[in-house]
Amino acid sequence: MAARGVGTGESRLQRRFRASWQASRGLYRVLRANPLTLVGFILVVVIVLIAFLVVVLPPVTGFLLGHPVSIVPHDPNALLPCAVLPGNVTQCAQPPSVQNWFGTDNVGRDMFSQVLAALPLDLVIGFSVAGFALLVGTGLGLVAGFWDTPGTIGGAVSLTIMRVTDIFLAFPSLVLALAIAASLGRGTGPAMLAIMVTWWPFYVRLVRGEVLAVKHLPYVTAAKAAGVSAWQILFRHVLRNILDPLIVYYTLDVGTVIVTFSTISFIGIGVPATVPEWGSMVERYERLLLTAPWTVLAPGAAIFVTVLAFSLLGDGLRDVLDPRSRRALVQPAAASGLPGGSKSGTEG
Amino acid sequence: MGPLLHVDHLSVDYEVGAGTFHALRDVSFELTPGRVVGIVGETGCGKSTLAHAIPRLLPEPPARIRSGRVVFQDTDLLAVPKWKMPMVRGTSIGMIFQEPINSLNPAFRVYDQLTEAVRIRRLREAGLAPSFQAPQPHDYSKGAQVKGSDALARTLTPAPPPRSFGRKGPDPEELRKEALEYLRLVRINDPETILGLYPHELSGGMRQRIMIAMALSEKPSLLIADEPTSALDITIQAQVLTLMKELMDEVQTSILFISHDLGVIAEMADEVGVMYAGSLVEFGPVDQVFESPGHPYTKALLHSVPNRYKDGGPLPSLPGSVPNLSRLPAGCTFAPRCALAREKCRADPGPALEPVPAAPAGSSHRSACFFASEVPTLP
Repeated sequence: MAARGVGTGESRLQRRFRASWQASRGLYRVLRANPLTLVGFILVVVIVLIAFLVVVLPPVTGFLLGHPVSIVPHDPNALLPCAVLPGNVTQCAQPPSVQNWFGTDNVGRDMFSQVLAALPLDLVIGFSVAGFALLVGTGLGLVAGFWDTPGTIGGAVSLTIMRVTDIFLAFPSLVLALAIAASLGRGTGPAMLAIMVTWWPFYVRLVRGEVLAVKHLPYVTAAKAAGVSAWQILFRHVLRNILDPLIVYYTLDVGTVIVTFSTISFIGIGVPATVPEWGSMVERYERLLLTAPWTVLAPGAAIFVTVLAFSLLGDGLRDVLDPRSRRALVQPAAASGLPGGSKSGTEG
Repeated sequence: MGPLLHVDHLSVDYEVGAGTFHALRDVSFELTPGRVVGIVGETGCGKSTLAHAIPRLLPEPPARIRSGRVVFQDTDLLAVPKWKMPMVRGTSIGMIFQEPINSLNPAFRVYDQLTEAVRIRRLREAGLAPSFQAPQPHDYSKGAQVKGSDALARTLTPAPPPRSFGRKGPDPEELRKEALEYLRLVRINDPETILGLYPHELSGGMRQRIMIAMALSEKPSLLIADEPTSALDITIQAQVLTLMKELMDEVQTSILFISHDLGVIAEMADEVGVMYAGSLVEFGPVDQVFESPGHPYTKALLHSVPNRYKDGGPLPSLPGSVPNLSRLPAGCTFAPRCALAREKCRADPGPALEPVPAAPAGSSHRSACFFASEVPTLP
């Protein structure tokens, strides 16, 4: 592969294009080796793309074409005309049809539009709340795991972090989140804050455990013996080796956060009624479950598919991130362990 | 010239649930620059504890350095604050470990790990990173003598960084070139390919060569090799030993070589220390110790080496077993297994290392036995 790139007078752009093309081919091979990961990957890409279009398309087209174009077919809060049945009875909740893919609710709002309009909010909540927990939890967990010698300043800090974490973990996190959300008042912000406050202790536990397992391994001692400073050992050697389980846990957690947020909304202390959100929609239409089941099934299925997508991707990422299985997946012949046998390592 | 390393009455305990294990008791020896000192002993006698205690790599707790000094280039390393120890490690004291399989970080390519070592040395050479410097003799013309703690502080004070050096440090291309040089030094063919591989794609012998390259690339004054070949199979072991022997001539560095293999020690070391149950029982030039041992344990150890020219019969073995390090006998620790042991040995913990009577005058050959003169009479 080195022979192709050298001396042919490629421009920098061409070389960059070739590099990214090769990288994406590697990714494709990894994904193809595990079909479920591929499904998860495609689903996540599609979901993120749709959410992006929902947010970005109307203002952009409004600016360019003069009139906004949206992939959301109807205004989620617009009341569509209800059907009038014999005997002058109005029937607003329509079953799924060509015009209304997921049907309409009891006042005539299009379910498909509502589910679609809620997607960006739920995704942002999932990513940001889990991301916040990841950052805070990883930071505290690294410190608590790495400097845990009793009787030192680090030991005292570590002890404090772990006891505070234990206090948070002693409460059922959902109940704690509900209590905080309820005391802060109704709204998207307070509900997110409530989950953020209760979410990080799990990451502290996870990270601390991983750090404790890794920090006495021979390669960490070897790095110490080479004169690598404590901070570099922590961030370069230890963090890199615990990153794989962490990222996997994060992707799985995005789904869990969405479910939790939906639960808070379901109870009625999350988002206001005018903001479409999957959990609050399930709550709102709960009593229509028998007469118009599509109103509950549509947001429920949206939650299900999103969580499933991230779970599948998270499972597959484990294989992609580990150098041992990655190269085995990309190039089965290179996994023989013989240094001369592999030709894939020369790049970089 | 004084000794490069002077281990002085070093005692290390492990405090675990079951009690206190005296892993090292009163170990003293010196290493003169340019020499190779071998430490030999059976499993669990404290060899690795000694190797890890010198650059202070022991996990504390459970380990605890009870007493003693580790004087390296006239500085007592045990008095250096723990956070300053990374400055000593690598460029002053390098180390090669027992398990080449696990001693390379599985997440990084050889390139990343080797250039990390080269980079550390370059930064320290340029004064961009704080490094350990041997203390300068005090200049009395400038006034009163500096107190001990000040002298220590000055020893480890970083030199101010030169302004011309870039913030990012050494040029990556130069680092790469130097990494390749060190791979060639440890006789690796096709270093370009090896540089891009992950540790799991390399064999044990290959990994140990890379560990050696990493240690040497920091140009340490003292290299501690903690059983560098015991995890390798016999042919690879021979290759790595040959390599190390060749490198000893090329790279002028002092080595503390730890092994349980008497043959390896005889091959590599100038001087040898024999350890038993956490203490040094004999120390001296390799040929003298192996020709005319001054301690019954050394004698027994040499006696148990299989001889390929002698046929038949079970291999000779020493009756009894190593005492429990948490409940050591009152007298000499070797007394229960010793043919020379008398009443005195069972009551008295034995002498410190004393010159062996049979040794030539001026020899460093010393033994911790009351009856060193009787050892040659043993079978």
